[in-house]
Amino acid sequence: MNDNRVEKPWLIVATREILVKVTDRAFIVGTLVSVALIVGMLGLQIFLSNRTSTTKAVVTTSEARTFADQVGTVAHQRDDKKSVEVTQLPDAAAARAAVTAGDADVYLAKTEQGWQLTFKDSVSGDLKQIVQEQSVQDALQANATRLGTTVAELQRGTTVTTQILEGSEQQAGLAQAVGFIFAILFFMSALGFGLQIAQSVVEEKQSRIVEILASAIPLRQLLAGKVVGNTVMALAQMILYTGVGLIGLAFTDYKNLVPALSASVAWYIAFFLAGFLALACIWAVAGSLASRQEDLQATTMPLTMILTLVYVAGFTASGMVQTILSYVPVVSAVLMPVRLVEGSASWWQALVALLLNIAFAALTVYLGERIYRRSLLQTQGRIGYKQALQLTD
Amino acid sequence: MLELDGLTRRFGDFVAVDDVSFTVPEGHMIGFVGGNGAGKTTTMRMAMGLLAPTAGEVRWAGREMTRTDRRRTGYMPEERGLYPKQGVLDQLVYLARLKGQPENEARLQATGLLERFALADRGKDKLEKLSLGNQQRVQIAAAVMGQPQLLILDEPFSGLDPVAVEAMADLLREHTAQGIPVLFSSHQLDLIDRLCDGLVILNRGRVVANGSRDELRSTGRALQQVRLDHDAGWLRGTPGVYVADVDGTSAVIELLDDGARRLIVEEAMRRGNLLELKEIRPSLSEIYREVTA
Repeated sequence: MNDNRVEKPWLIVATREILVKVTDRAFIVGTLVSVALIVGMLGLQIFLSNRTSTTKAVVTTSEARTFADQVGTVAHQRDDKKSVEVTQLPDAAAARAAVTAGDADVYLAKTEQGWQLTFKDSVSGDLKQIVQEQSVQDALQANATRLGTTVAELQRGTTVTTQILEGSEQQAGLAQAVGFIFAILFFMSALGFGLQIAQSVVEEKQSRIVEILASAIPLRQLLAGKVVGNTVMALAQMILYTGVGLIGLAFTDYKNLVPALSASVAWYIAFFLAGFLALACIWAVAGSLASRQEDLQATTMPLTMILTLVYVAGFTASGMVQTILSYVPVVSAVLMPVRLVEGSASWWQALVALLLNIAFAALTVYLGERIYRRSLLQTQGRIGYKQALQLTD
Repeated sequence: MLELDGLTRRFGDFVAVDDVSFTVPEGHMIGFVGGNGAGKTTTMRMAMGLLAPTAGEVRWAGREMTRTDRRRTGYMPEERGLYPKQGVLDQLVYLARLKGQPENEARLQATGLLERFALADRGKDKLEKLSLGNQQRVQIAAAVMGQPQLLILDEPFSGLDPVAVEAMADLLREHTAQGIPVLFSSHQLDLIDRLCDGLVILNRGRVVANGSRDELRSTGRALQQVRLDHDAGWLRGTPGVYVADVDGTSAVIELLDDGARRLIVEEAMRRGNLLELKEIRPSLSEIYREVTA
């Protein structure tokens, strides 16, 4: 019978699931801490990349001064946060004293073999390399002039350049980082909200409030409300995290990556939705198979194993394995967006993977609903998955 | 009127409920009695559509009971518990909305019930913050949320403190006064004796007694208490009299035919005085013991 006054039961259930969650202090704190972590990591990145360092060098001759200035110029060219400040002192003893006292970082002096760098207690590798290169460059220049040729002529055929056929070097590194982040986020969120579904099912079952609910509304509606409510929350949280991440990234040196990443994140969100839905009803089944919270560890085992697999695959899969897994439902939620960042998959391949995922989700929702309905009102202890499949109404 | 007709439920080879039939008429309160494992909960779960019957039918208003009918049934499961971490008022409203009651109406009813149980100021508190007694009162309120047209309550009085027992009893009486049928199970025979218009006794899945208190009393053996001012031993030889017990000047007897009463009175007056001859009304627990033995 249809009564227009009556609200849709699944909507009432979903609203309750969401309200309970957003008023739960642990959930709010957890979400805020995660956002703070994301902001903190990005902030650290900005801080580190903006930090300037000045090396104080002392010299005793004007020749050394010129050389030190050249080294400073090169260092600044390589990293605009670095510079070298040169001071000329009367003699070697004064220069050594300045280094020992910590007033200077290095004493630069010309010897018969070339240049000598005197540090207080540790050698700065960066500086040593620049000085070495610079002295080679100077010597080359002098030798070339003497032989009547140029440095470029002498160096012909020694240049090493690198090239990546698919995508760019920056993309490859980025894809790896994004893979880690997507894998971690997927694992955390799918596990957290999945467990939440299972716990809320077993809470109702354990307290027998499910019998009141079942006599009031069809169990299908109860399940739908639970799944919808938790999916909305999981999705909102994921959008929050990735949104904060992207906005934060726009303030770092990687801001040029934001457009490419945004597209990938949008795909990831779509995949996350499909992947989460594919498991949501199974989480509900895991809850309905348990009769007490303590049983959950056993009944949710298959799900935690699947999620761990997705997690590990996100970190380790490469080559052919990665390509194949990027079409496998649930795992594809992490791997396909990574391939998109790498540039090794195109939009239609992503679409195929997404459709496969949605088809799989439809199957698990169908099966999950049947098992949930039948095992929910069973009260005689924990039920196995195999046993549950054989239950009848 | 709620009618259970030939309800049967098997779990494998075990017959938990065997051909159970009885009715709960409008405005009647029926007590459902039976030992542990007698099949009360299974019967009630079938009545609520939570368990499919192997055979038989549940009828409401003369036709097979539907989901819509059950939606308007107040039900209290055996092992109770609401959501511990949700506000008291909110979950009462939630349950009523699931039963199809509009939110503002549900809020009004819930507020009224909380006031009645002196919990008006606790509406925003989480259920787990309330004392056990107050949690039970909320549970009682939950059962009658959504303006039910029928109440089916599994052990509604178990674990209640005496004040809550009275509150529950009052609430149930108010519902029957409005013509709502009430079926509840209980181990507390004194309560059933006090509250119910009728009772159904279940033993090993079968109905062994069904009727009003007086009807049930009249089905057992009608024993008489006799008190004389002289030794009662002579009763043993009186025709038409079965003597259950003699103790000095008093005895417990059963009258096997109609003339026996007159015979006893005359003989007693001849020998001395007859101080008392009255029927012993068996208590419900005696009836219960007898029918479930």
